[in-house]
Amino acid sequence: MAKYITKRILMSLLTLFLITFVLFVLIRIMPGDPFPVERMSAEMILQKRAELGLDKPILIQFSDYMSMLMQGNFGNGTSLYNGAPIKPILIKCMENSFKIGVISILFGTTAGLFLGITAALNRGKFLDGLCTVFSILGVCIPSYVFMIFLQYFFSYKIPFFPYFFDPSRFLFSSIMPSISLSLFTVSTVARFTRNEMVEVMNSDYVKLAESKGLYGFELIRKHILRNALIPIVTVIAPLVVDLMTGAMVMEKIYGVNGIGKLMVDAIAGEGIDYNYVLALGIVFSALYIGIMLILDILYGIIDPRIRIAAKETK
Amino acid sequence: MKKFLLLTLLIFATLIIGCGDESASKDKLSVMLGSNVVSLDTAQATDSASFEVIADCIDGLMQLDSDGKAIPAIAESFDISEDGKTYTFHLRDAKWSNGDDVTADDFVFAWRRHCQKAEEYSYMLGSTVACVKNADAVIKGADPKTLGVSAPDSKTFVVELDAPVSFFPALMTFPTFFPINEKFYNSLSDGTYGTSPDTFLSNGAFVLTEYLPGTANIQLKKNSSYWNADKVTLNDWQYQVVSSSDNALTSFKNGTLNVVTISGNQVEHVKQDAELSKNLNTIAAGSLNYISFNQDPKNNHGGALANANLRLAISNAVDRESLVNNYIMDGSEATYTAIPVKFAPNAETGKYFAEDQKQFSDYVGFDVKKAREYFEKAKSELNKDKFTLNLIYANDSGDTIVKVVQAIKSQVEENLPGITLNLQPMPKAEYLSKVTSDSYDIAVTNWVPDYDDPMTFFTLWTTEGCEIAEHWSNAQYDKIIADCTTGELAANYNARWAAMYDAEKILLENAVIAPLYTNANSVLISSNVKGIEFHAAGVDRVFKSVTTK
Repeated sequence: MAKYITKRILMSLLTLFLITFVLFVLIRIMPGDPFPVERMSAEMILQKRAELGLDKPILIQFSDYMSMLMQGNFGNGTSLYNGAPIKPILIKCMENSFKIGVISILFGTTAGLFLGITAALNRGKFLDGLCTVFSILGVCIPSYVFMIFLQYFFSYKIPFFPYFFDPSRFLFSSIMPSISLSLFTVSTVARFTRNEMVEVMNSDYVKLAESKGLYGFELIRKHILRNALIPIVTVIAPLVVDLMTGAMVMEKIYGVNGIGKLMVDAIAGEGIDYNYVLALGIVFSALYIGIMLILDILYGIIDPRIRIAAKETK
Repeated sequence: MKKFLLLTLLIFATLIIGCGDESASKDKLSVMLGSNVVSLDTAQATDSASFEVIADCIDGLMQLDSDGKAIPAIAESFDISEDGKTYTFHLRDAKWSNGDDVTADDFVFAWRRHCQKAEEYSYMLGSTVACVKNADAVIKGADPKTLGVSAPDSKTFVVELDAPVSFFPALMTFPTFFPINEKFYNSLSDGTYGTSPDTFLSNGAFVLTEYLPGTANIQLKKNSSYWNADKVTLNDWQYQVVSSSDNALTSFKNGTLNVVTISGNQVEHVKQDAELSKNLNTIAAGSLNYISFNQDPKNNHGGALANANLRLAISNAVDRESLVNNYIMDGSEATYTAIPVKFAPNAETGKYFAEDQKQFSDYVGFDVKKAREYFEKAKSELNKDKFTLNLIYANDSGDTIVKVVQAIKSQVEENLPGITLNLQPMPKAEYLSKVTSDSYDIAVTNWVPDYDDPMTFFTLWTTEGCEIAEHWSNAQYDKIIADCTTGELAANYNARWAAMYDAEKILLENAVIAPLYTNANSVLISSNVKGIEFHAAGVDRVFKSVTTK
């Protein structure tokens, strides 16, 4: 087991390194410059570039960057654009994105499970059709359309929720952003839950349990749901990362200070903030890889077959 | 299962009911910002949003009154030496929001630091604008102590200039020249100044209560230790960054925001609404939109635009009235001068520099016949009938620019058969790097003035200033500009003013640029909000004397 875990961790680190390298090179060759040049002389810009080491060959820049990253700094640790340190701002923005992400995960999975279970229990009936239609719509409608729709109806037509995200009323004003973010989660979870449950409900052991006289909530909870949940967790895990890393469009529309908005601003500003884009790219990838790593290890613990398979392929 | 569902429902119900104190935020003044605040550090700030928020919180030596005249702020009064090269400011008793006194050393520190950091706006202290002694050398790395500023005592701030600058007091209203509390600054860790309410000090009308670089929401409240606190009635208020004009309009309609800027195509919609149209204000801004021609003879299209007749042909083939009335529609004004229409009033006559829009009508205007004559000359001089030119523009600041360039393309191609314009939209960062790296033919661009003097535009087209754009050079033009900034004309207001018209003539008869229009903003302001001061240059909006009833 220890060998399996070590191997997975090493693989993850290698992946992260490769991603960092590709990101680093891509950002450097992207059109545009980190310096807004309108009011600076060419000489001053060259001086700035030299100060930041941007005039060195790209591989040397990368090795410099990696050595700074090893010390826990993203580049020289400050934004190229406004000179402010990256880490504290990144942490604050991550906090906001995570909080809204967690609310939408809770809402999304609860509502998704509820819809999926309802559909599975009423298979072939009207409710099943309704839930299916809803989950298909949820996957098909682009989330930003849904966001604007929600904002228009529940903040403008019926002005109950605040139009923009308001940090002084965090919970109340994060309801709309969270719900609009969870649309995809709700429908994905609903679809999977329904399918998995229908499959499990048709299995021999459920039929056996039924023939033994088990029925109702007990049967669903102990035998059907538990078995149906394993594949569902697999689907939820990457969604969790998606939600936590903030939705760029949502954060822009509602004006949330999250890492999604930070990313958009870093790329679309007057100057491209190399340090921010890289830092965010690395954080996003690390989160994704981290969650996948934990899942892999958990699978190995839960399901011995995976562990054995890993051994056999050696 | 039922318990679980019940619990979930309960949690959501509590969230919704428990937090729903809607009324609390409705009375608060909420102002739209069209873009993020880049930085509250005066040396790092480069954009109008940052300058505006800095000016809400910090007072400089001078401030602008509602008519745009410079009046005393932290400086109670000032003396000018006879040669106009030494300014002595006498500071009033003012306090920083941590209780420290505002002293002359705070100005010395901030100005030296600005030059030493050599950021984008450091040029404001240099020889093209404020002419502070030795500023250029310090920007290039000399000892900051050699900068021509000193503090003989804590309430006297002396500035030495290399040349007399007639608009120097007005410059002091610009955030680049604002003070920083040295002791406070040194107590912070590197780079954190101005990144949160805790790392930022006010000596002005408001203090920050909520701020983060790049934030979408900035909260401010009245600074009780402000020297002029009696005049400030606004207490709690906020900025909301809104990038979409649709969002801006709907949030104004439902009362979320009180001051919003809308786009040209929304203006028609607003005008049809009797209630809403009462809130509409057209505010003249000072920024000039123009066509920039790359005149480098070596540029990638054979340098056809180095030919003045070709440039004049294009300039005369564009119908500017149609641009502002049919495409932009937000109150922007067609412009036929190199200086925006309502900008830089003469100190003696009060007339705007470009009040007479017809004075260069021989070179700039909409006259298809004339345009074709120029075009014929250009064709014979260049031995060429067909010209394909790339027109680049930054497309991430709304859809107005898209409509403008499409109109220019159709007008030029229709009026001058033989010219083809290829429209090339791109993000601003890429656009800027293309302009500077010489890989463009034509750019539709705009320039936002930094100070209320025509020179904020004229320095763009000197040989040195042109290095990054038009690649045009004219010794006579350069001489006039040099004379007006640091030379013999600097001290003579009227002669300087007249010489600037000569420079403008050289610029326009050569069609170095083709002016298009002066921006205006269509602003919706709630009827209970009074007293916002709008300015064409420097700090765009001032909220110190705003009242809400």
